[in-house]
Amino acid sequence: MLFDTTQLALERAIEGAGKRHEALAANLANASTPGYQRVDVDFHTALASAVNRGEASSAALHSLSFEPARDASAGAVRADGSTVDVDAESAKLAANALEHQAAVQVAHARIGILKAAMGVGG
Amino acid sequence: MSMFGGLEVSASALTAERLRMDVVAENLANAQTTRGTDGQPYRRKEVVLQEQAGSFGASLSAAMGTNGGKNGGGVEVAAIVEDQTPFKQVYDPGHPDADANGYVAMPNVDTVTEMVDLIGAQRAYEANVTAMQAAKQMFSRTLDLLR
Repeated sequence: MLFDTTQLALERAIEGAGKRHEALAANLANASTPGYQRVDVDFHTALASAVNRGEASSAALHSLSFEPARDASAGAVRADGSTVDVDAESAKLAANALEHQAAVQVAHARIGILKAAMGVGG
Repeated sequence: MSMFGGLEVSASALTAERLRMDVVAENLANAQTTRGTDGQPYRRKEVVLQEQAGSFGASLSAAMGTNGGKNGGGVEVAAIVEDQTPFKQVYDPGHPDADANGYVAMPNVDTVTEMVDLIGAQRAYEANVTAMQAAKQMFSRTLDLLR
């Protein structure tokens, strides 16, 4: 098998981080929107449970979908009822971008190994 | 899945924040205007923002029941409303628009409030530019997988 569960998990992690970036960017965009409730994508939990399925993890990874959800636990940080803390969102955005970069680099390295094995050269 | 969803979301915020800055500039420029277009002193304008309703693509995929249909909602300007607080009454008998008692109705623009709004809009703009740059980097790194 050319692409194993790890490669698949990496791909889904990259996709999840992309979706999460979209959600965090939407939060920043709506920082001044009265009554806005922040959204987030919890792709870590979904990914971890799919990876831990053992034999079935490949199928579980294939059927994963990441959807943004309202973060009901966040309290209002502004007088207009918006629950967006611009500093916290920026920090989450930066951390998420690094996570995305890490997943991409590992995926890249693994593809390089495959290329080397096929004699194309990394 | 939209490839450039993150960029679109941030772009909508840049448009909205720029409009906020434009309105602040208009308020500041007219802080001393006693004759507006309706003959009344200038009324301070304020931007009302709201979460963007889904794009056409998101609505379509929602109708077809694919991919949940929930896109990362950007922001849009719902309305530009006039501030209904009363005009400031300034005693200036020499002013051509003074009333019988020598008072002039001046616009309800407070320069300090406008400056604070301006800084807020500017910071929000910067935060969204940063998000846009991060999205751009993420895309280009993902594309690097092909090399």
